[in-house]
Formats: sequence, structure tokens, C-alpha cells
Amino acid sequence: MFASIIASGLAMGAIYALIGITYNTMFATSRVMSFTAGQLGMLGGVFGSLLMLRLGLPLVLGLPLTLLLCAGVGIVTEFVAVRPVLKSLDQHLYVLTTLAVALLIQQVTAIEWSTEPQPFPRLFELGRDAWDEKYWLPVATCAVTISALEFLYRRTLIGRAFLAVAEDNFAARALGLPERTLRVASYAMAGAIGALAGFSGGQLLLAFFANGQLLNFYGFIPVALGGLGNNRGAIIGGLALGLFQQAANFTVGGIFASVAVFVLFIVVLLVAPQGLFGAPASRRV
Amino acid sequence: MAMDERVQSAPSHDAPRASLGDFSKGLPFLAILALSMLLPLIGNDYWALIATRASIYWILVSGLNLIVGFAGQLAIGYVALFAVGAYTASVLAAGNVLPALPPFAALGAAGVVSAAMGVVVGLPALRLRTFYFAMTTLGFATIVTQVALGWQSVTGGGIGLSGPSLPAPFDTTWGLYGLCLGLAALCTWMTANLAYSRFGRALVATRDADVAAEANGIAKPHLLIGVFLFAGAAAGVAGGLFASLQTYITPDAFTFDLSLLFFIAVLIGGRGSILGPLLGTLLLTLLPEMAAPLAAWSTFVYAALLLIIVLLMPGGIATLLDFDNRRVLSDNRVILPQPAALGQLLAAARPATGLEMEGVVLSFGGVTAIDGLDLSVQPGQVHGLIGPNGSGKTTTLNVISGYFRPQQGQMTLDGTNLPTGLPVLRAGRGVCRTFQTPRIIGAASVLQNVMVGGTITGRAGFLEAMLSLPRSLRDERAIRMRARLALQAVGLHALENVRADRLQHSELRFLEIARGLMLHPSLLLLDEPAAGLSAEEIKRLGALIKAISEHGVGVLLVEHHADLIFEICDQITVLNLGKVLARGTPAEIRMHKEVVSAYLGA
Amino acid sequence: MKLTRRSVALGAIASSALGTSLFRLVSPAIAQTAPIRIGWLASLTGASAAPAIGFNRGVVFAANEINAAGGVKGRQIEIVTRDTQGDPTKAVNATQELISQLKVDAIWGPTNSGESLAVTAIMTRNKMPSIHPCVVDSLIDPAKYPNAFRIAPSNTQWDDAVRNYCLNILKAKKVTVIGDTTGYGVTAANASVAAFKKAGVEIATQANIDATQPDMTADMLRARDAGAQVIVVWSVSTGMVARLLNTRATMGWDVPFVGHPSMASGDIGGLLAKPSNWEKVYAVGYRSCSYDAAGALPAHSQELVNKLQGKVNLSDSLLWWVAAGVDAINLVAQAVSTTGSSSSEAIIGHWNELAKYPGYFGAYTFSKTEHNGYPTEDVVMSAANSAKSGSFALAPGYT
Repeated sequence: MFASIIASGLAMGAIYALIGITYNTMFATSRVMSFTAGQLGMLGGVFGSLLMLRLGLPLVLGLPLTLLLCAGVGIVTEFVAVRPVLKSLDQHLYVLTTLAVALLIQQVTAIEWSTEPQPFPRLFELGRDAWDEKYWLPVATCAVTISALEFLYRRTLIGRAFLAVAEDNFAARALGLPERTLRVASYAMAGAIGALAGFSGGQLLLAFFANGQLLNFYGFIPVALGGLGNNRGAIIGGLALGLFQQAANFTVGGIFASVAVFVLFIVVLLVAPQGLFGAPASRRV
Repeated sequence: MAMDERVQSAPSHDAPRASLGDFSKGLPFLAILALSMLLPLIGNDYWALIATRASIYWILVSGLNLIVGFAGQLAIGYVALFAVGAYTASVLAAGNVLPALPPFAALGAAGVVSAAMGVVVGLPALRLRTFYFAMTTLGFATIVTQVALGWQSVTGGGIGLSGPSLPAPFDTTWGLYGLCLGLAALCTWMTANLAYSRFGRALVATRDADVAAEANGIAKPHLLIGVFLFAGAAAGVAGGLFASLQTYITPDAFTFDLSLLFFIAVLIGGRGSILGPLLGTLLLTLLPEMAAPLAAWSTFVYAALLLIIVLLMPGGIATLLDFDNRRVLSDNRVILPQPAALGQLLAAARPATGLEMEGVVLSFGGVTAIDGLDLSVQPGQVHGLIGPNGSGKTTTLNVISGYFRPQQGQMTLDGTNLPTGLPVLRAGRGVCRTFQTPRIIGAASVLQNVMVGGTITGRAGFLEAMLSLPRSLRDERAIRMRARLALQAVGLHALENVRADRLQHSELRFLEIARGLMLHPSLLLLDEPAAGLSAEEIKRLGALIKAISEHGVGVLLVEHHADLIFEICDQITVLNLGKVLARGTPAEIRMHKEVVSAYLGA
Repeated sequence: MKLTRRSVALGAIASSALGTSLFRLVSPAIAQTAPIRIGWLASLTGASAAPAIGFNRGVVFAANEINAAGGVKGRQIEIVTRDTQGDPTKAVNATQELISQLKVDAIWGPTNSGESLAVTAIMTRNKMPSIHPCVVDSLIDPAKYPNAFRIAPSNTQWDDAVRNYCLNILKAKKVTVIGDTTGYGVTAANASVAAFKKAGVEIATQANIDATQPDMTADMLRARDAGAQVIVVWSVSTGMVARLLNTRATMGWDVPFVGHPSMASGDIGGLLAKPSNWEKVYAVGYRSCSYDAAGALPAHSQELVNKLQGKVNLSDSLLWWVAAGVDAINLVAQAVSTTGSSSSEAIIGHWNELAKYPGYFGAYTFSKTEHNGYPTEDVVMSAANSAKSGSFALAPGYT
């Protein structure tokens, strides 16, 4: 019983964490919280199922194509919903534009795909019970993703350019960095990371149009817990959320589990207002 | 008594201009109200329903607008309070826990309970920033609906319960509409009163210039609690009316989408506006109805339309309606201070003996920023504070105005102890200041910006302001009059209705000084006021500062322009590495060897 | 679905939509030639939209069939569809629009209980003839809602069928009851538990599971440890049902599942790890949509299936959804045809007199005091995995 709670808790946690990283990746270069993050996760599952089950493509084609399609959605988001409202960030109009795009994605999926959850293929036929691939795949994907991101950000020139833009947009532009291109690239990257969340968690979450809202919601929590823009924090926050949520599902039942999750979340935030791993507030004067 | 005061204090041109401005501001609202009142003549029950719904949503949004649009807090989950109101009204009217209450009593109770909940939901805003706060409000929204689902004996659980049915004449479609429209109009009036009072300006100040807000004595917690109570009550009453309109409520009526609708109505309306969010609410209620004939694709089209609307007017509806600020400003404007106006502005003398600082030590971690500073600023004198970069000049200002709490030392102002820290109490003691980078409210007019400086002089409370009672009106007139005088004194009176973010940098410096003069300060702290000014402007600035000091105000001036310092200062203190290098009159400093070699000579 | 898709012309929508709805002035009904307008409140794109999509196929089919045959006494049937997305607020708006703006003659739907609870009183206030398939018992009350008729079983009828099957056929002494966390799931599970207790059955465990919970092992282990002999499920979430069934198989447990019709939904088939995971699952079904040992449907139903052949896809839907959709439209058409009027008094009055009206989904009987029209004896249990063109084999124990 404990094995199953821990396995599913870690798996869901890893998916939430990946969505959290998706939020962070978009936020870093644009200072925009894009509500398309969860929809990207949903599309990862739907595209995976569409390509591999309906069209019969093998994994080696299905996965890259899914990532590519979601990266495309990410780029479109940047052009349609982010770029036009960057000028007036403090009006928070991006909430509206990104939500509108999220709603467009969700409605098209509901009508053209299905309103019922559809199957997602088994990928490797590996493991059973608590070690079933559906549990460890998201965790492994999360580990690989964060390692790759750390490598990108710390070891490569383009990664450092990302960091520079994230740190100080104006300074980066003054240095001659192609800030706009980097932003588009980060949205493409976020699309792919969101797709990975949905794809690796496809067997758990199924290819279901309503997953978008769910992931939007619970993917935001690791971001807040870990501190805005902090990917390592998002992973710890995500895994903690997954474990706590599944344990709460079991102990207090489905109705009050989300109450328990949010009560704890609010208490934690009030104790640590910048998130558990966020930087302290910068000096104001 | 009251009449006499007004006649004495208000310049004769003031009153008619203000009322004309108020009237033209109110005109669009009256037009909307008139159209709404015509609806029963042309519309059927369907339009009554949609219009009632829009009215109810606006009752909530009008309160939320103060939080989101004015205070800039991202309260996304306001459906929580809407649901609390709906359930409170329904449960009390049905008599599920207590003996059944009459419907209007239940509605009132819904407002009270939601107001209290509003404070609970809102309080994290005092500790959390933007997204973090947004997330907690969403958390409350989830908690409320899940509790409604689980608490079957009271809320009816999944199958819910009937909404309160109101007595005649509000039991008909148009009767209910009339009630909701009336309450919506009342809420519009109340929020407008608040928005255009010192409380509304203070809210916007905490949003766009929170440091300056504190320096002007605006206590964010008090202010926000008042607004959360109001917005909560509005949301609760709206929820109760919603339950009546729906006739039946279940937890699944209180969706995330509904919560977003409230929030988006404010965003799409534009910040710091009331008309904008009102139109936004109407738009968001009507758009889905227009798209409805498309059945399955209706929500898609609704989302697409939203996107198009934002792309067409990225500033929100309010910016689109702001015709005044589209007029081109003349390029060759000149700032011409009129120190004569200071006479009226700084007439009443404060009992002043000046500022004394003794042995102040402040270090950040291992770095000592101020190392045993003694400083005394006499009333009626201009005291220059100079020194190389990093010598602790601005830090000293921040210690005086309470942003930094020194580890040692003490300060007295006008003979009484000036407690360290607590920046929000400084304005009350007559300490006013400007900032190195001007901290102004870009979206507010020049006049409004200056009026923020007079926030604490108001006597009327939150409720009085909300209901526009005489004392509040008097406050407003007095503050506006002083602000106009202050603008005249610094030479910006021609620009009083211009949005502040359209001003040039040099004008903003004078604007900050005008704001600092609102309280009749005993100590005015100026942080590099001449930075970015032309030679001509610096000269006028010097004369202005001198004139201010001549009215008994002690001025502490941090500046790099040596000419200005030596021309207007009575005393100069030179800092280096947080220590006093030299002090004396300009003549003495000019002769000081170390100063000359280390600083002036360079 | 096809109808709605065709009507999308993204560019012109808003203006034309506003135009038609704003300026359609009240015209005196020209009874002889005016179309019969039937409002159709469908949750087409919300979560759990599958039934509405199924009903919609029947609605469109029936309207086309009647119109192709010349209409009802020369009057065409016009279906006015609104997507309510399962949101009570949208349902209320749409209902009022159908009544006051579009002047429909009758309304079919909404299709889920949360929406129905919100709109029932509004329809009554406007004396709108209303038929719906929602199960919550309190929705039907001829004294309070003289205009509302139900052509599907009530929750009590479903609950009785499920409980009787557990007691009489499966001989269960101890059951686990599982609902999801929607309003319906919570209510239905509570009602079910109460009725089982009253019948002297012990409740092993009771759980409301969030339909998105990825893993059901813990809940199932708990039920097994408590000695559950049957798992009763009240949820429209196919994903949740599939997860429960897969977990049962992984545990190597052969406990039977009994409950909500959605356990027989075709969508579940694809979500199961192996087809055999669907064995010993008995969902609420209907005699009219069940085939016998020889694989034959009742004659009347077979007649409908033949008519639907090639026009309506039954493979990814259920026959009863389509049949109920057809019946709903036919009930309105028949009332107008019999009374010669589409006034609300005529339609409601006609329905109040209906005795054993031979619909495809069931033989409905209404009276002034009973608006639950579905015959209790036709509510049966069916083998969930036996779908053949949307119909099912009867569960063991039925003949």
C-alpha cells in the first residue's frame, strides 16, 4: 500500500515538477506566467497517443514529433500571447492572453480529439507493480530534463545567454544578446519540456483534454514552493506536492485531499514568503 | 463652522472646476445606467437575465477592482468569496443551521460573513508578492468549493440547495433586475468615492510606488484591510444575489472560469479605472452569449475574441478611453517655480528645533555603511551632505526616513526621540523626502501624485470616504487646494492633469518636491534633486530650495553638483566611507585640505 | 456534432449571432407553417460529454427523419443547440435564451444533474415543456415542477437495480461503495450507502476518489482488507473506472464491479491493460438496448438500429443515448401532431396522458402525478464488456 502511494506520489510529483519547470522556462526570459504550461502537458499526452496509437508511429518517431509539435505551440504562444503584452507587464494582461490561448487549445482538443480520456501506449513494457514504467518514467524524465537544463545553463554559451537574459533583460540587450530570439527559443524549449511531462506521464494521466487545467493548477504549486524561476526548487516542491497529495487522497479521501493540499501550501508560503528556495526580496530603497 | 472653513480655505476658482470635472467623469456611468433602465422597455426575460447577471458580477468586480486594479494585488480566486456569499445566504434563508432568516437578512449576513472571509483571503497579500498571493487566493477557492461539497448536512453537498427567494416586488425577473441594478449603481458610487479619495490614491501609491507610499505615511495593512472588507462584502452580496438568480446552487457553479472572469474583467478594463472594468464586465458577460449559437465551438470563438480584443487594445479599455492624455504636450516646456506660493503653503509654523543624529552605526553583514555618524540639521537651514560614491549619503537619508535600522546611535527630531525603523511613521513627524530615482505613480495625474503627499492630513475615515460624507469632501478640497499650491510653488501647475509618466525626468524631480511639501515638513530630505537637470533648471531648483528653507523647513540635501551645494547650503557635512570627513560652512569646506584633495580637487 | 461543425464560420459569427438574437422580434406564432423549435441543452465540450454527444446523434437523426418525411403536419422541426459545458451558469443563460429569445416550444436536456438542478425552476416559471435524462430524484416533482418529465430512470431506479443485483444475484453481504468527487458522485455514493445499510448490507469501505487520481491501488487494497465482496461504483469518469479495473487485475482479485452505466462505455475498452480486465463488471443497462443469448435485440430496437445503419455511428457511443435522443424529439413531435398545437399546455397535457408510449429506449408512462416515465422493470444490469453496436448482453441472472 505504501509502495503504491510513494510510487504514484513521486510520479505525479515529477509531472508537476516538469510543468513547474515549463512555467519557469517561459518566465525566465519574459517575466510572464503563461497559463499554457498545463495545456502543453496535456498536448504531450494527446499528441503521443495520436501519433503512436492512432497513426502507429514507433517511439523513435513519436516522441521527437510530439516534442516538435509542442515546441511549435510554444513558439506560437510567444508570438500571439506574450510579445504583444510585454510592453505593459505590470498590467498583467498576459494572464488574459495566455489563458485565451490555453482555452483555444483545450476546446480544439475537446472537439477534435475527445472529451473522454483516451489510451496512451506502453513504451517499453518494463517493470511491474510499484516499479511499473508508468511510475518511474516521469521520475526518470524529470531527472534527465533537469540534468540537461543544468548542463545547458552552466556549461554552454547559449545557456549562459539565457541566464543573462533571465537575470537582467536590459543589460543583456545592451550586451548585444539577441534577447528576442532567446525568448522565442525559451518558449520552444518550454513547449518541449511540457510535452515531456505529458508524454512521460501519459500512461498515468491518459490522453485527456481536461488534464490541461489540472496540470496548470498543480504545476503552479511547485513554482511557488520552489521560488519563481528556481528549477531545483520546483523539483523538490513538485515531488513534495505529489507525495503529500497522494497520501492525502488515501488518508482523508478525495474530497478533502485538495483542502489539505492547499491549507498546507498556504501555511508553507506564509512561513516562507519567497518559496522554500527562492532568493530573499531585493532591497527596496 | 464648516462652511466658514471652506470659504476661507478654498480659492474661488477651485469649486466650480472640480464639480465640472466630476460631472464629466460621471457622465458615462449615468449613460450606462440610463440605458440599463431602458432595458425593460425593449428587452425580454433573457436580456433581463443577462443584464441581472452582469449587474451581479459588477457588484463583485467593483470591489475586486480596488484590490486588483488599484492596489495591484493579483487576487485571482475571488469566486471563493462569491461562493461563501451564495452559500451563506442560501443556508441561512433555508434555515439549515439556524432558524430561517428573512431573505434580505440572509443577504446582509452573506455580506458580513464574506467581508470577514475577505480579510482572511486577503491577508497573505501583506506578506506575499504577486504570483504567490495569486496562488493562495486560488487555494481558498478550491477549499471553499470542496467544503461545500463535503458538508452535506448544511450545504446539500453535491445536489446543493435552493437560493433565497426574495419577497415582492423582487420576486419577478424585472424586480430582481431592478434590485441588482440598484445595488450595482450603489457599488459603483461607493467605489468611485473611495477611488477618488485619499484612500484610492493611497492604494495606487502602494501599487506603483510602495516606498514613496510608506514615506508619505501610508500604512498598507490598514488600508488593505479596509479594502478587503469592502470587496469581501460586495462579493458576498453578489454571491447571495447570484443564488437567487440561479434559483439553485451546487458546488459546480463556482468554477475556476468564473473566478477568472472576475479577474479578467479588471485586467481588460485597465488599471486604476472604474469605467474600464465596468465595460470589461459587460463585455465578458455578453461575449459568450453572442458566441452561444455556435454550440460546441462557442467557447473557442469566445477565447479567440478575447485574444483579438487584447491585441487590439493592449492597454485595456481605460487607456482607450483616456482621450485627455493623447493630446500632444508642448516640447519646450519650462519649469518656472513660484516661491511666492510657499507663503500660503508653509504658513503655519511647526515648533521646530531640527534633527540631531548621534553615533549612528549601520552595517550590512560585514560591511559598515555608516560608522559613528553625528549630524545636525537646523530648521530654516539647507544642510549639504556630500561625499564620493559609496560614502553613505543615501544610506544616511534611509536611516533618517526609517528604511534602515541602525545597530547603534539615536536620532531626535524637534526635541523628541525619532525611533529607528518604522518609515511609515515619518510623515507624521514631518519628515518628507525625495528619491534618487523619482518614485511616482506613472499612471496617475500630476495633481494626484502630489495629493498622495497629503494622505495623512485627511480626517475622514474609510467609511466616510466611501459614502462621500461632508468631512471626506472637506478633506479632499483641502488636500487638492494644497496640492495646487505646491504645484504652483514648484512650477508644474500647468501640467496638473497630465499623466505623470508623460513628464520629463527633470519635471519629475520637481514633482517629488511638491509632494514633499504637502505636509508642511519640518525636515525635507532631498536625494540628488539636481541629477539630470539643465544648468538653468538647477539654478531655479536652488532658488526653490532656498525659499523652502527660508520658511523654516530644515533641508538635508544630498548632491553631487558642487556649485549648487556651495551656493545654497548653510552647512555642509562631507562623508567618506561612512565617517564624517569634514563639516562646516561652505567657506570652511572649500578650504578643507583633505576634502579638496580627496573630492573637490578631482 | 456534424451539424454544429458545419455551422462554424469563424469570421462572421459574432455579428450574425448578435444580429439574429437581438433583432428577432416577437412574432405571433403562425401555427400552421412555423417550425417546431426544440431547444437542446447539451454539454458537448465539458468533462464527461460523451452522453450528450450520443444523445445529439439521436436528436439530429430524428429531426432529419421527421423533416425529410414532411415534418409534423407540415411544420418542420428546428433544433436549437447550446453547449452548456456542464456549467450550471451557462445552462441557466442558455435556458432563458431558448425560452425568451428563441421562443422554443419545448426543451430537451440538460444532460447532467448539476445543470438540471439550476434550470428546472426557471423552466417551470415559464411553463416550458421539459424532458431530460438526469437522474437526481428531486428533479422530478409534478407538484413543484408540473412541466418537467424524465425519460430515463431516476437515481433511485438505478440504485435499486444495482443493489438488488448485489443482494439477489451476487448474494453480497459486504460491499464497498466508490464515488468520484463531483457533485453527482458524492451524492450518489451517499444515497447508495444509505440504501445498502437499510437493506442490512454491511459497508466494507466507502470512498470518494478524485477522478484524476493516477493510482487506485491503495483504495482497492483497503476494500479487499475490509472484506468487500462487491465494488459498487458511482462515477461518470471512464478514466477512473478503467484505473480501478486495471488495479483489480494487477491485484489478482476477482471481486465483481457493479454500478453506473459509464462502466460499460466503449472508451473504457481502450484504457484497459487487457480485455479480460473488463470481466465481471456489471453496469446499469436497459432491456431495450440489451441483446439475448442468441444475440438478438428486441424487435423495436432492432428496427431503430436498422434505420441508423450508415447514418449514425454506434460503435463509439451507446445505443441508449442515441435512442433516448431520438425519443425525446419524437415525444415532442408526437405531442404536436396529436394535439395539433405546440402550445405548452397542449404538449404538457398530452404528456400527462401518455401510457406506454412505445419509444425506442423504453415505453414511457406519465400521469399528472408521476413524471418519472421510465418503466422500472426495464432497468437491468448488463455485462459491461459485451458492447455490440452500443448494445449489451444481459448480466448473468437475467433472462
